[in-house]
Amino acid sequence: MTLMSEPMFKAIISVLTAGVGGLWVIHELVLMNRLRGKGLQDPLIRDQWFGYFIGIAIGVIGVVGTLRFNGVL
Amino acid sequence: MATAATATRAAAPAPRRAVPIINPANAVTASRFLTLPFLWWAVDRGYHQWATLFIFTCAVLDKVDGLMARVFDCKSAFGELFDAIADGVCFGFGLVVVAAYGWAPLGSVAMIVSLGVLNTIMRFVYMKRAGRATNYKSYAMERIVAFTAYQIGFATSGMEVKFFYWTFAPIMIITVLYDAKRMLIDPIAPARAS
Repeated sequence: MTLMSEPMFKAIISVLTAGVGGLWVIHELVLMNRLRGKGLQDPLIRDQWFGYFIGIAIGVIGVVGTLRFNGVL
Repeated sequence: MATAATATRAAAPAPRRAVPIINPANAVTASRFLTLPFLWWAVDRGYHQWATLFIFTCAVLDKVDGLMARVFDCKSAFGELFDAIADGVCFGFGLVVVAAYGWAPLGSVAMIVSLGVLNTIMRFVYMKRAGRATNYKSYAMERIVAFTAYQIGFATSGMEVKFFYWTFAPIMIITVLYDAKRMLIDPIAPARAS
């Protein structure tokens, strides 16, 4: 029992993953940029910076995984 | 010098206004549990697309409850805790189901679930150290939880499953180690006056 054809399903999950992954990276970079000039010795700032870094890593993994899924990488 | 600024901060204390437990935001959070039997059914029958739709619905509802809390002004400490519990139950259940049916690598899922349990235990230790009902806000773990929903989706859709699961595990290990230091070792900021 399927909702749609396999190529359509593959296209939708690819767009959802790569799209969200790409936007996620941009979003985290913008947030990280706002922390520029603030001291990393403050644990709150350091936590935020680390969180955004992890977010960027996740976004990149999403994009790379989608490219692999579609045979680009 | 360990001041309030340099100490580990706790999440903001509960708002002053009393919020009833039964409210629109918590109702949406609770409705997430309704997707789980359908997810299990779809995985059991081998309906990949339906399983993906159900975990996607569960993840979207996770975003909607926060929106409802803002729209209906019904944010509460209980709501935050209930949301965290719902995340753990829904995504933990999803991971176990996809691993049990061989849709995701068992070793990686076991590692992810174990780290999730360890993180929960550390949150209780943090609460005990703080001496009050509080939740450690981890920016990194928030992102990990969101990505966990995706992990289940990758398994149900058969999308680069091994790649996604084995790249996710080390990121989660690094995050749990970082949070462990913050929750178990670093000083805790005093509660803000309400």
